Amino acid sequence: MAQPSPIIRLDDVSFSYGASATPALDHVSLGIAPGEFVGVIGPSGAGKSTLAAALSGAIPHHYRGQLFGAVTVDGRDTCEVTLTDISRVVGSISQDIDAQMVASVVEDELLFGLENFGVPHDQIPGRLASALETVGIAELREREIATLSGGQKQKVAIAAMLALRPRVLVLDEPTAALDPVSSSTVFETLRALNRDAGITVVVIEQKVALLCEHCDRIVVMDRGQVAFEGTPRTVFSHGRELRALGVDSPRVARISNSLAEHGVIEPGAPYLSVAEARDLVADLVRGRAAGEKNAAAGTPAKPRPARTADPVVSFRDVSFAYPGSRATVEHLSFDARPGEIVGIVGQNGAGKTTLTKLLNGLFKPASGEVLVAGLDTRDTPTSRLAAHVSTLFQNPDRQLCKDTVLDELAFGLELTGVGAGEARERARSVAERFGLSLDAAPFSLSRGQRQMVALASVVVMEPEVVLLDEPTSGLDYRECMTVMETVREMAEKGCAVVMVCHDMEVVSDFAERVIVMADGRILGQGPADQVFADAGLMARADVEAPQVVRLAAELARDVSPAFAGASQVSDIVDTVEGMLK
Amino acid sequence: MTSVIDYVPGDTLLHRLNPVTKLALAAAIIAATLLADTYPLLLALLALTFALAAYAGVPGRLARLLKLVVPLGVVMFVFQLIFTRTGGVVWGFVTTDGLLTGPKVCLRLMGVALPLVLMLMVTRLTDLANACVEVLRVPYRYAFTFTTALRFVPVFSQEMNAIMEAQTARGVEYDTRNPIRKLQLMLPLCVPLLVSSVGKTEATALAAEQRGFYLRTRESSFKRYPLVARDWIVLACCVALVALGVVL
Repeated sequence: MAQPSPIIRLDDVSFSYGASATPALDHVSLGIAPGEFVGVIGPSGAGKSTLAAALSGAIPHHYRGQLFGAVTVDGRDTCEVTLTDISRVVGSISQDIDAQMVASVVEDELLFGLENFGVPHDQIPGRLASALETVGIAELREREIATLSGGQKQKVAIAAMLALRPRVLVLDEPTAALDPVSSSTVFETLRALNRDAGITVVVIEQKVALLCEHCDRIVVMDRGQVAFEGTPRTVFSHGRELRALGVDSPRVARISNSLAEHGVIEPGAPYLSVAEARDLVADLVRGRAAGEKNAAAGTPAKPRPARTADPVVSFRDVSFAYPGSRATVEHLSFDARPGEIVGIVGQNGAGKTTLTKLLNGLFKPASGEVLVAGLDTRDTPTSRLAAHVSTLFQNPDRQLCKDTVLDELAFGLELTGVGAGEARERARSVAERFGLSLDAAPFSLSRGQRQMVALASVVVMEPEVVLLDEPTSGLDYRECMTVMETVREMAEKGCAVVMVCHDMEVVSDFAERVIVMADGRILGQGPADQVFADAGLMARADVEAPQVVRLAAELARDVSPAFAGASQVSDIVDTVEGMLK
Repeated sequence: MTSVIDYVPGDTLLHRLNPVTKLALAAAIIAATLLADTYPLLLALLALTFALAAYAGVPGRLARLLKLVVPLGVVMFVFQLIFTRTGGVVWGFVTTDGLLTGPKVCLRLMGVALPLVLMLMVTRLTDLANACVEVLRVPYRYAFTFTTALRFVPVFSQEMNAIMEAQTARGVEYDTRNPIRKLQLMLPLCVPLLVSSVGKTEATALAAEQRGFYLRTRESSFKRYPLVARDWIVLACCVALVALGVVL
């Protein structure tokens, strides 16, 4: 089949920022064909954002550095046309959605580009309305942007681009700050634009399941180079290599890759969705082991030791309302015991963050009581609670304030009254364990490294309770696993961990107990596998259970009850293998 | 959290005036306040500001601002007492002249701060920028810089809040009752705030350029901001106000 000539082409492109010797892009050649939907993934520092900047003309026009090779957009070398002219073809949306906005009201945000590019004034109302309509936010037209949710802002940014009728949209991690439901909506919007309006989409994204579902082609970046590229099926058949790079695969792809490694199926065609995996596993089991319906129930749900220690965190019928805001929670009751990892899940606005702030004492309950390590948060200043509860915030930059890593780690200890000498000693040993250089300035490190410094400053406190607010957002798979393994170690040493997390795979891998929240209330809580298997509860909270749990439920219903309760990739693989023997 | 100068939607005459006229009105009240030398006029001008606010439906918000301005006014009053060395001594460093002029300084401060804020409350920033470009021929670059700066105020104050929360949770005593200690603790936070601000402004500049910022001319704005009859009437009133300030 003859490929249509690409709308954007990178020819052996290398780029390094400023005078830096290490190239952010290293001999990259890539063509984006008109009408394609391309996903870009890779570990942090792989050059994904730099690639986006090169595609949208921000390199060479905005970022200074050394550029080699040629980038052509719509047949013209980006070095020879202005950024403004490139923008007529390529619309780009940056990572920081607040910084993307140029106006304070939605309508003005859309008008800005239309006015500047000199769209005839009689066409403006039509274009404005149709852009809002297409993205599905017509009712937000008069709203102040500051009052919108993250998902809504993302759609406003897309609509503002759409009104200009670009031929290509380049988005840099549009769903990084969004919950799973809003993330899916953003991708569905993009897919519809791609299908109906023929707009070429290039999206940088860490959420592999979304990429699989929507992309025609996936490009995997590593250390400034293209490591893999092809259809989702081709790319994710390299599950093992991807993992080595620090790129996750969808859980269903891991199941099929694992089955292939065990020689159960032919390698090379991983499952990409739950439905696909269900059908294929069903065929496999029916074909080869017909009639074997009463296979001994596998070994799902390893019994976990019951925790008997006294709770170190107790919420007793806690209610709280934040004046002038929607942050309201009602009748929250739960305990967390030493050694336990408790996951809190729910949509944006469910009250999860309010719960965390009640726990670390930033908010004091209006009624009910919060006990942390035996202290009532209402009687204890937040800064004193800090000796018992350590919080890892979503954005490490808010936590860091010192000039060197050593000072940063020692700072928290000194604040809680540990002597300077001992604080530095402890800080030094933790920094070594994390492989952090003691004299490095935290702000000059990469995003993932900054998160590590923030995590190290939590670990060094040796707290009784660790509170994690979206610990994995903005991290690549490898960093995410390092963070979570560290957290697991802390739990094993007897620390109680409470974590708010959008990534259900992470929750199901690490949390023992899960609390489901919606509309400021706790809808249900219990052991992780039971909670996730409760389809009714998941639906009420608008939470999508992890892929493996959904697959297990469907297989248990359609194929064999032996699959019931499986929550890990290995559970499913073992059960399939067991049935085939 | 909303900031003090958030736009409050409405359909009053004040809302519908040309943004430039509103700017002129605020400027006239301020000019008159600075020129006025009698208590009745100062009080009348302040009353006028509040009457306009009441008419536009934002008296509550303006009153909230008093909480910020009154303490400042008190500080000014005390300074005035200390530095006015003429007149008879009443007590310690307090002189009769100080007592006479002090409240004036305090009233002037309020009279200068409030009209501008009121005007910003009833004008959308984009309209203000576009009208300044169209009517006053201000280069768009400056208008955009100004509106962006105002737009970033609440963004940065949210950021500051989030940073303080994160630091409190680490054990920094921001919950102390001692304001001087609190200020001391806040200073080091300028670093993280500055880092994030510079990044944000950079990104906004890029986003604006990618949407044709440099193509924009005085003719670009979709909405037009002509000065109509009601604007000229209000502008005439403005001149009268300033004249009143000069005379009284």
